[in-house]
Amino acid sequence: MSCLVAAVELIEVSKRYGYLWALNSISLKVDSGELVAFLGPNGAGKTTLMKIAATHTFPSSGNVKIFEQDAFKNGGQTRKRIGFVTHESFLYDELTVEENVRFYAKLFSVKQENPHNIIEFLSLKRWYRVPVKRLSYGLRKRADIVRALVHRPDLILLDELFAGLDEETCELLVDYFRNQQPKAVLVSSHSIEWAKKLCDRGIFLDKGEIAQDTRF
Amino acid sequence: MGFFSTAKGIAEKDLKAEFRKVYEIFSILIFSVSSILICSLAWGGVLASRSEVAAAALWIILFFASVLTFTTSFTREKDRGTLGGLKTLPCSASAILFGKVLYAIVVLLLVECVLLLFSSVFFSLEFSERLLELVLVFLLGIVDLSFAGSFVSGLVMFSEGKTLLLSLLLFPICMPVLMSSVLATEKIINGLNVVDILPELRLLLAFLFGLAAIAGLTFKFVLEA
Repeated sequence: MSCLVAAVELIEVSKRYGYLWALNSISLKVDSGELVAFLGPNGAGKTTLMKIAATHTFPSSGNVKIFEQDAFKNGGQTRKRIGFVTHESFLYDELTVEENVRFYAKLFSVKQENPHNIIEFLSLKRWYRVPVKRLSYGLRKRADIVRALVHRPDLILLDELFAGLDEETCELLVDYFRNQQPKAVLVSSHSIEWAKKLCDRGIFLDKGEIAQDTRF
Repeated sequence: MGFFSTAKGIAEKDLKAEFRKVYEIFSILIFSVSSILICSLAWGGVLASRSEVAAAALWIILFFASVLTFTTSFTREKDRGTLGGLKTLPCSASAILFGKVLYAIVVLLLVECVLLLFSSVFFSLEFSERLLELVLVFLLGIVDLSFAGSFVSGLVMFSEGKTLLLSLLLFPICMPVLMSSVLATEKIINGLNVVDILPELRLLLAFLFGLAAIAGLTFKFVLEA
């Protein structure tokens, strides 16, 4: 009998935008410690799936469980255990990286506001007191990862993690997230190459359905 | 983290971001001051100093200044993608809305201080004897406006014509607030005391509780859209 806790469990989850079914009766389970990549072409449903797992979007039907609890019944408690990075930055341009991180740390009731380890690892120390609007896309993405991990989440959701990043930054992120076990890491990506470097399992989506679920 | 601490944190962040790029807050203040000057020049000294004209002018200017504030409230979060960040927070949608309301209250109080200062000069108004009553009316009116404006700003943020919709929706929703506030301000300028403005204060309070109840029940669906 497995003693692993399911970090994410989707049961018959569908999501409809108007007449379009972005997700069609998806069922899957991701255990703690697993690194899973969601792959597929544009419009396959990767971002919708990540948003539902992050409790940003309600599914049209089906159940979502995060660490074996109903994700939407007590959204606040669920979100305390989730770190979510998307292709859009959640940082405020006028504030420095430090001020942004402090803002999120405060609202997540984190006492240790300076996550030194992550900042050092992602080579952000030099940029920590610089307004976000002055950062390049890659640096902004790194800062956004610090923001998402400031409350030490058990489930890390990374939507289009590698999009627009140089090889060096991608390597850095792969190194970082490969050492995050026993946390569960879910990545959506177009790049099979980078997904294989980071993840142990790949789920291929097509037109809102699971086309293939495979071990790398 | 509690409801009020979360709201305070969001309001502090908004104010810090707003005052970093002072041109937006300055544009609201300059709009208010120039409106006072234009009214004063257009109506002349005698008409502008009449209580009903001055009270109406003050609230009309404040209302338009508030529209400028609310166009950047939730809309900016949506346009810059930071709304997703607020949705990651372990708090209720109402706490996020209340944070925006607190931010709007601070900005509008600042506008109101400038308005009162300039109107006392250009409209030749004398508030000092009834300052407490005036503060009470303006505070309640501003809280109501902030609640209504932030709620409507949240409602329209996903639409394409958000600026137009905001102006179209905000005016009819705020009509009871504007009418009560203008009447109460006029009475205060005429030297009446707090007992005389009780009906208007009651209406302002009822509006606030009604809107807070509606917003509290529905705002999580607004954020999810």
